[in-house]
This record gives sequence, C-alpha cells and structure tokens, in this order.
Amino acid sequence: MEPLRPETRRAILNANPRAGPQIEEYERLLAERFTTDPDAPAPHPQDARVLPHKTREQRLRELYHQLFDGLEAR
Amino acid sequence: MANPTIRILRAGDTTKANPFTICIVANPALEAPWQTGQFIIDPITADAAAFDACADYINQSLFAGLPNQQETALADPAIAPFVKVVSIFESALPPADANALVAQDSESDLLIARRTVFRPFLAARNLDADVAYAVSKSNTHTRASAWFTSDDDTQGGVPFTLDGQTLAHRYQCLIPGTIAIHSSATSLTALHEFHHAISSYTNGSIVDLYVDSSLGLNCKTGRPIPPDFAVYNGVTMASDPVRDHLGYPPSWQSYHCELHDPNLPAIMDNYWLAAPAADSNACQNDRITRQFVSDRVRAKLSR
Repeated sequence: MEPLRPETRRAILNANPRAGPQIEEYERLLAERFTTDPDAPAPHPQDARVLPHKTREQRLRELYHQLFDGLEAR
Repeated sequence: MANPTIRILRAGDTTKANPFTICIVANPALEAPWQTGQFIIDPITADAAAFDACADYINQSLFAGLPNQQETALADPAIAPFVKVVSIFESALPPADANALVAQDSESDLLIARRTVFRPFLAARNLDADVAYAVSKSNTHTRASAWFTSDDDTQGGVPFTLDGQTLAHRYQCLIPGTIAIHSSATSLTALHEFHHAISSYTNGSIVDLYVDSSLGLNCKTGRPIPPDFAVYNGVTMASDPVRDHLGYPPSWQSYHCELHDPNLPAIMDNYWLAAPAADSNACQNDRITRQFVSDRVRAKLSR
C-alpha cells in the first residue's frame, strides 16, 4: 500500500491537531487488510494482534469518517 | 472483445513457453465502491497516452530507470533481460465484473486490485502473469495497493530456509501478485507495490514498514530489539535498531532488518519522508527484502 502522502497527513492534522494516533491506527488497519489471503480456502494462521475482518472494517469506517469528513484536501 | 493494443516493453526469455511475466493493463472498469457489484467505465480507457506513460514509468521504476534511483536488484544482468513486460490497452469494453480489475475503496482513497479477475482477463488475451498491474485514472481514488501472490504449493520451487523453517520460492502461482495503481503514480510507488506483489502468502510476505505492522518476512515484533533480525538461507542478517532517521515510535512493537542505506527510509517504509524529499527515488531495500526478491525472481526465471 502506498504510504500516506505527507501533504494529506498535514491536512488532517491542520483540521485536527490531535489526530496523530487515529491516523496511525487507520493506516495500520488499512495495511493489515492485505496481509491475509482473502481467497484462501482456510484462514491462515495470523499474528495475535491482527483484528478479525469484520471488526477491522467497522473500525476503519469509523476512523475514515473521523479523519476525512469535511476535509477538503485529500 | 475489442482489439487490444499489446506493447512488448521487454521481450524477456523468448526461449521459454512460460517466461516470468509482468503485465500492465489499462483497467477497463472500476467497481465503485468496492464489493458492491456496481461498475463504471474507468477514465483510463479514454486516455491511451496517460496509460502508455504510466506503463513506461512502471517499467523504469522496476529496472532502476528513474532519476537517481539506487535500488538496482532487478536491473541485474542475470535478471532484467529475462523478464517479460507487456502492456495491454483496450477501450470500449463494457463495465462488468469480468472487466473490472480495480475497485474504489469506500473507507479510503485506495485503489484495490480485484485479484481473482486478472488471470481470466489475461487468459482471454492469451497472456499470463506472475505479477500484474492494473492502471486506473479514477477521478477520486489515487492511492496504490497490492495483494501478495497466492503460490501453488503443490508444484515445485527452490527451497530456502528462514529462521530454521523450510519454505520455497514457488515456480507457479494460483493467483498472481496484483497491483492497482493510478496513472499519476510517481517515484518508487510502482516498485514498492511490486515488492508486495511478488511476495507470498505462504512463502514469505513483504509488508509495509511505515505502520506497526504484523509479522512478515521483513518485519518482526518484540522489545527490546535483538541485534539479529533473521537467518535467511544460513546468513544472519542484523536488525535495524533505529529505523534510519525516522525512528520507531515508542508505542511500536515491530522492528525491521538492517538497511543498505541507513540514511534513507527502506523502500517498504515511507519513502515520501526521504530527506530531502527529492531523494525519494534513492531509497533502497533492507537487506532481507533485497535478497528475498532477487532469489524469488531468479527461481521463477529458472522454471
């Protein structure tokens, strides 16, 4: 996954200077999506820190709205 | 099927029926949003010039052709001449499931490869790929992403050891490594995504290093950071105790392998943060990623 561009990060932080930890969590969860084979016949053994798919997508949705709603420069 | 325009950017090993192949496809249709079954025409289909420019950029990025690019592993004379690179441009295909290689994420501006669509799409054009890029000119989504390869573990490969475990650089895949990339992509984005895509769900995955990632070939977890990162094929590789100039945030548990250039972020880390910014192209791999990618491509070239 392409890293978040510095200008996007700056735009989020300009809108909400305390959003740093949320950006970190959002980016980690997005990257995590790609680490499990979505087409594998059986679940691959995972790192204990990896969230279940449904929980992760729900949290991503929340974070996306918190970070990007109303943000002009994406 | 309309008449596709196929460009051979690199002929590769013409003595083989199934040479190691990288395909670059102009994405005919977008699933928008991802996993909704709704499809629209991708604007790239109306801009052949932008697609050709992006295909040329991808080819340059893979083989050390960017200005000031320092990562030259794939430009090795034992690799580069044997890699086939093909681009495919085809307009006027209907916006349908079988033609949508890329989706637009609803929770980000990520472009997401619809990985199971690639192989049938290519097969219908008498092509196959080990790694495939789909180039989009989405009006809203510009950030690239990639899925690792799903190896065919029932077939052969070149065995290797990683921390005492025996794995294999497989010759064949079930699903190729797939990448969704925007036509405006620059710098090391194409190469960064290639590294994800050439890696494997079952034989070594190359993960992002700019987040506190889960385990991968190039990422481990735990504190304190041990001096040795891994033993790959009998060679001990050191850890990167400081993550070049970026530093590991205090909350992180992950750590990385030693860098070839400790002054710049690894290619799998945040290359946009290279200082000065103009030097993003100069970022190099960490030691285990470079060796692994080189070995894996060589194994596939030898099939």
